[in-house]
Amino acid sequence: MVRLWLGKMVFILCIASFIVGVFSSAFAIQVDDNIEIAGYLKTEVWVKTNNDNSHQFLSSFKNTFDLGTEYRIDDNWTFFVHGRYFYDAAYDIRNDAVFDRNQEKMGNTQRTEWLRDFYLDYTSDNLDVRIGKQQVVWGQADGLPFLDRVMPFDLSYYWLYDFADIRIPLWMIKVEYSPEVNSTLQFLLIPDFEASRSAPAYAPFSFSANNAWYNFKTNINPAWGGTAQETIYRPPKQFENFRVGLRWRSMLGNDIEYTLNWLYGYSTSAYTYTDSFVPILGSIGHYQVSRRHKLMHMVGFSFNKSFINPGPFEGWTLRGEFAYFHNEPTYYGTQGSRKLTERTDKYTYVLGFDKTFFTKWVFSLQFAQFIHDDKKIGNYQILNTYTYGLLDKVENYLTLKVSTDFMHERLKPEVLIIYNDDNDGRISFKTQYELRDNLWLTLGYHHFWGPAYGSNGQFRNNDHMHCSIKFTF
Amino acid sequence: MRRLLLFLAMVTFSLVVWAEGLEYYKVYIPKEGMSADEIMRIKYHNKYSLFAQDYQQTGEVLYVDPSGFTRKRVWKRQRIIKAGQEGISYKDLVVMTYPTELKGLAVLTWTYQDPQKDQNVWLWIPSLKKVRKISASEDDDAFMGSDFTVEEVSTRRFEDESYKLIGSKNFSGYKFEHTGEVKFKDKPCFVVECTPLKPHWYYSKRIVWIDKDTGGNIFEEYYDKNGKLFKTLFREWVWTDLGDKKYPSQVSLECKDLRTNHRTVILMKDTRYDEGLSEYDFSVKALMRSRW
Repeated sequence: MVRLWLGKMVFILCIASFIVGVFSSAFAIQVDDNIEIAGYLKTEVWVKTNNDNSHQFLSSFKNTFDLGTEYRIDDNWTFFVHGRYFYDAAYDIRNDAVFDRNQEKMGNTQRTEWLRDFYLDYTSDNLDVRIGKQQVVWGQADGLPFLDRVMPFDLSYYWLYDFADIRIPLWMIKVEYSPEVNSTLQFLLIPDFEASRSAPAYAPFSFSANNAWYNFKTNINPAWGGTAQETIYRPPKQFENFRVGLRWRSMLGNDIEYTLNWLYGYSTSAYTYTDSFVPILGSIGHYQVSRRHKLMHMVGFSFNKSFINPGPFEGWTLRGEFAYFHNEPTYYGTQGSRKLTERTDKYTYVLGFDKTFFTKWVFSLQFAQFIHDDKKIGNYQILNTYTYGLLDKVENYLTLKVSTDFMHERLKPEVLIIYNDDNDGRISFKTQYELRDNLWLTLGYHHFWGPAYGSNGQFRNNDHMHCSIKFTF
Repeated sequence: MRRLLLFLAMVTFSLVVWAEGLEYYKVYIPKEGMSADEIMRIKYHNKYSLFAQDYQQTGEVLYVDPSGFTRKRVWKRQRIIKAGQEGISYKDLVVMTYPTELKGLAVLTWTYQDPQKDQNVWLWIPSLKKVRKISASEDDDAFMGSDFTVEEVSTRRFEDESYKLIGSKNFSGYKFEHTGEVKFKDKPCFVVECTPLKPHWYYSKRIVWIDKDTGGNIFEEYYDKNGKLFKTLFREWVWTDLGDKKYPSQVSLECKDLRTNHRTVILMKDTRYDEGLSEYDFSVKALMRSRW
């Protein structure tokens, strides 16, 4: 009841603010020289365009209130707090059973994630310390979270939102020590733990593996008298379970920048294990599965270099990252069916090439490979975590992002294409239009294709158009 | 010891190389009898504040379309002059503070002394909460979507053009549309014709009026390949008095595209020099301090 009331308040605030935004001149809030406040109210609508009768038309009608405050205590100390709450009115508007069932997990901000940032910053020439709830980002890749694994992710809308919005912030201590101007040693101590999350079964962007498990659980009982029990084990909040990370960032010469990274701790993703199976009839029986987080290592490096001297590569920026995952749980099985979960090693790397062409068209091309150490265990092959589809030993990815602007940067279109060598991919188009300084309109479209067991192909009947209007202050 | 001597030799060499032009940390004023090259070297020296150790300012950009509809951007800029150390002329940090949609967007730029080298540019992207190394913008691209090009604001160098002194004239004055005020009427100026060395560039020549008092380029006319005037650019230069010294500073700019009647106004305030900024504030770590 309280949540419904809160949601309605956010919705009314959004509508009121847009009316105010259209008719008022732009303003910003500056309480005094030491305090800055900024935020926004946003209403966005997601509509499914290729209806396969499994969903109705409206997928999301999300109203978001965001507010950040920075307080500069003195030259060295700053406090920052940033909150965000959303309420998705689609779960009220729609009257189907799936939306009713998923309202609790999809209809509003989960748990304490409304608090996006809450930290105290100490900054000086040689030492920066940030204590509190925050995000830490590693890596050079765009849209591919290979080295960017410090934070858990909320994949309720797959990877369709900006990464800053889908990372789940954590309470931690971040220390950055700079022995010289362009070199920094970063140390992370993360006592907080949050698990990465995906959408519940049959939500607009739920993974097919989730749907399959849901079907299995709901179908098994009435038909044959079997059971399926799922237990989730999170790492206990003890000192020995704190995650730790180290990153060394420096430069070779004046223009090659590199990092060396190491992360140790429990995986933010929970992996499914079959704990027991007592058959009654064939594959039907009493299942006990658990979702567990496992201790794992990640080591990696990243680099970037802009070619700034005259020559054939002038104007290009080359960037890359490599990550090695040691002891990460991996699913094995047959197409669509997980049989084993084994800890294995994996390697990933990304190479990115960026350049501006035709004065203001920015092209960003990435090539990535995901390499598994063991393709097979017995007769079982590696599986895609999202879909339980079969994976190759080496999975190849290409991404291309093109962006530009028109009307004095008032209209900013961009297109992102992600392609996997199994002919699995998506095209995401987005354009932003500035109505006024404080009023922004966004229109976008996501088109998916690929095999049913592909990461993107699972959504091939789930193309979506989305639009939003945002009032900022 | 050998390393120290080598380092000192390199520093000395870099300063000597620059001394073929002008020395860092000194203010120069154009004088009668100077050549077009000498006058323009002073103009670039002043434009990039190479006379100071560091400077900071707040800038406000107004995009005004022909109907009068106006959009605004506000930034804070800091610059440290490296005077050729490690080949770097200066480092810039620009942080957007308004509108909220762009708040926190920050750009770190290193400009090298070698005119052949492009800038090294890093960007803090609030929507990703990460730093991205990016390709330097094309010189003829619009600067932040304004009527200025990137090179007009930040990348054009003395070596990019050839110069011809047209003469000394009194400037007829410029009506600053933002306030309606007529500025610099009868101001004594050098008039220089500048021709780009790049082939097929977006202008065929520009006529620049250099203020004899500050050495600043107060007015520019841009001509297309047919010799037609298509853009004017006004810069208001004043002296900033620091007590024991004074520096030439730009306080307002107005660029008019005569083809579209769109104009861009840049207003700069709170300009401060030589406050002892730390080079640590011009590093990737400093970019990562961004909170928005």
